[in-house]
Amino acid sequence: MEAMGDQLILATGGYDHTIKVWQAHTGNCIKTMRFVETSQVNALDRTPDKTRLAACGYQCIRLYDLESNCTAPVINFDGVQKNVTRLGFQEDGNWMFTAGEDHHVRIWDMISAPPHCSRVFDCESPVNAACLHPNQVEIGMGSQNGNVFLWDVKSEKHECIVPEVDASIQDVAISPDGHYLAAANNKGNCYIWSLCSSPDQKMSTMRPTKKITAHSRYILRCKFSPDSRLLLTTSGDGTACLWKTSDFSKWRELSIENYWVWDAAFSADSKWLFTASSDGVARLWKLETKTPTREYTGHTKAITALSFKDEIIRKVNH
Amino acid sequence: MATYSNQHWLLSHIRNSFISTDDTGMCETVMLSDDMPKHYLRKFNSSAGVESHRRRPLKPPLVSTQTERNIRHPDAPMQEVDFVCYPGLDLSDDEEDMSTHSFDIQMYPEVGAHRFRSNTAQKLEKLDIAKRRAARIKSINYNEEVQPPDDKDFFKRKEIPNIKPNISPKEKKSNDDELSDEGVQSMLTEQLAKSPKQTQNKFVEFARFDGTSQVGMQTKRINVYLNMLPEPDRNYPLKVCVLSTAKIQEVIGFVCYKTSQQYPDVPLKSLQHYGLYMTEDNDDMEDFPPLDNREPCSKFGFSHLTLAERRPLAPVTRVDYPGQLGTKSMTSEDDKANLADAAVRALKNITLNGGAADPGGGATGGGGGGGGDESPHDNVKEYEKRLLNHNDMLEAPMHRSFRLNIIDKRFFKSDVTLGISGERIEIDQYKNAKFWPQKKPVSTPIDAVAHCEIVERRQLKALLRIWLKSNSSSSSLPSGCTSAPINASVTTLNTGTGSSSAGIAHSPSSPGNSFGFFSTTSNIRFKHYDFDTDTHTAEQIHGKLNCILEMRSSELRREFLQQRERKLERQQVKKQLKL
Repeated sequence: MEAMGDQLILATGGYDHTIKVWQAHTGNCIKTMRFVETSQVNALDRTPDKTRLAACGYQCIRLYDLESNCTAPVINFDGVQKNVTRLGFQEDGNWMFTAGEDHHVRIWDMISAPPHCSRVFDCESPVNAACLHPNQVEIGMGSQNGNVFLWDVKSEKHECIVPEVDASIQDVAISPDGHYLAAANNKGNCYIWSLCSSPDQKMSTMRPTKKITAHSRYILRCKFSPDSRLLLTTSGDGTACLWKTSDFSKWRELSIENYWVWDAAFSADSKWLFTASSDGVARLWKLETKTPTREYTGHTKAITALSFKDEIIRKVNH
Repeated sequence: MATYSNQHWLLSHIRNSFISTDDTGMCETVMLSDDMPKHYLRKFNSSAGVESHRRRPLKPPLVSTQTERNIRHPDAPMQEVDFVCYPGLDLSDDEEDMSTHSFDIQMYPEVGAHRFRSNTAQKLEKLDIAKRRAARIKSINYNEEVQPPDDKDFFKRKEIPNIKPNISPKEKKSNDDELSDEGVQSMLTEQLAKSPKQTQNKFVEFARFDGTSQVGMQTKRINVYLNMLPEPDRNYPLKVCVLSTAKIQEVIGFVCYKTSQQYPDVPLKSLQHYGLYMTEDNDDMEDFPPLDNREPCSKFGFSHLTLAERRPLAPVTRVDYPGQLGTKSMTSEDDKANLADAAVRALKNITLNGGAADPGGGATGGGGGGGGDESPHDNVKEYEKRLLNHNDMLEAPMHRSFRLNIIDKRFFKSDVTLGISGERIEIDQYKNAKFWPQKKPVSTPIDAVAHCEIVERRQLKALLRIWLKSNSSSSSLPSGCTSAPINASVTTLNTGTGSSSAGIAHSPSSPGNSFGFFSTTSNIRFKHYDFDTDTHTAEQIHGKLNCILEMRSSELRREFLQQRERKLERQQVKKQLKL
């Protein structure tokens, strides 16, 4: 096995109970790790230092070491109930959040040994999605009964909005510039709020801004591009749509016909997009031309989660 | 233990042991013709049958037989003492097969190497491994109590730099379909730019047969030597782990995929150029043909294989018997033996012809990446075509059944199954056929079949005719369902295709067209069955049956064709006379 070095890697996981690590630019599989035999992979995220990969699924949360050849996890969570739907790291890797169908979003202190839980938020309904605000203290959450929460982990205050009744929130996203919060539901609608933070460092306030009828079916993920100029929605209708955040008009539509597009990730310059779909293939799209440039084949079943950490290497002078 | 002194038993035992422990899947091809125990048994039976009448009353003295036993005359006829048949093995063909040839015996490769350990030992070891592994894994209790952070600054609010104003003017400038460049480039963009599209692996579709870390799926580890690598590398195998369900073809694809990753500088050809060959663990390739592409890799028990360019003219590994309706046909070894001989003869022919006809072929295959790898296209085609014929020939003797209509009493049709194998053809009325009383199935040894032809071709339907030796004089064959039309057409030889009245081809007794045929040289009579089926099936049957017949090149067939030729001649003479 090649050393990870500073090569860019893409991690994918899915219904075949494996997590695969790919060399992003060639499409070669570098490493395959066993996940839990009884679980799909719901979400993947890498620690900010890129050495570890966290994965969550049904009754499990695991962290893998990407630098060793060992394919067994280095950290395993015991006693997890139900599905853990999302996880993510604070930008310094100090803490990790997990959201689960046990109604709770937990904050895990990862710098103390052993790691322990330092905050819990009860959403009173299975939590389908959670994301971290770029200010590193607020967490946006979406639950199965249709609530969208914004929770300040520092002050432990929160705000709750129900954009649409009888719809389950499938994913939430906050733009990297901190201007927007998006929540997508199982009816194919995507709601956008403007976030305003007051100068006295209190919690952001949410102001309804836009509703997009994005897809005809289930939305699985929504995400903002690193430059905050694009909003992505992936759906069970076999498409991934890109919306310009300037006016929330549709900019591009990527299609993987007859398959669900489960997850996606942008490159740091927002020019490329990785998609994970139920045909077991991850794809890299050049957004400008909507052309699939690379395919990552190897999974035997649907890919439901992916993680890609890119970096800006230089400014181009105009 | 007593059986160890019995030659017949020993021979059978050795043969069975070989077959049951054979990993190669080759034994069926190799041993097809060599059932020595059976040969001996047959010889013994026939000699015993003749002698028993004479000998029994005489009761030859015991002494003489014992001497004979010790001093064996090579040419002496088979004696009872020479070959004592194992009791119960001299039954009829089918039953005997059941008892001496247990092809269903499945042996595990572990047997012989070392015995199975007990379940408990295995379980204990597994537990131990799990425990050791767990020791390295840090465990966190998900439900533990919340401990708020001690440090006030554990959650620190971060200021988000406001970059917005910079963008707006640019955005306005760009048109609707173009997102303005923020002036940054990511590592991915750079790396993609460095690796052009071609680097995308052409074998990438086989990546999904990767068996490493698969959960809940059977996998298989194989060490594959890569024949196309330069000298030092080719001596070390590539270790691959594939899904057990992968076919050999897919394993080859996966090995190519792995190879192209590990040795990016080695040019690989397309998939069909390569085959997996059996290999000793010291990487000596064996002289067997490559493994069959269509077989799942789980079928073979090898730990070491070699990926090499396919050698020309050795593309077929084994004959398998798709058992649609038929039996897994290892019956009647004698017929088989004949057939195998015929096949071998046919193959020899091909080899000779091939060597002569295709001088480029030797260079292509033997060179292994020499100058000859750019062989002309038609050469390849020709080669493929030959492979096809070759395969046809080998597959022809396999049992296969077809459903079609037999034409009974000239216009009644009934639904039948026609089974064709290298040994016999069988006609059985289809079970669900209504209205007609169930008739007995007919089985005809292939020796009695003379020819098969398509007499009439319409848009979709075709009329197929199979010519057999008529056995109206001999009673050895059962005369079953089609006795009436057989009688009607016995002694007639219809040249429907050639003659003027081809339209009513299935009317052997129509006056203008039928000839009694009592040749002076031989009094073989022929009868025929007519079948009505779709063109495709007819062609399949036609091809298969004639392939079998040609391989056997029997007297009967020659006789039939000669008769027909003579008849044609006579017709022509008649015509000329008329003119």
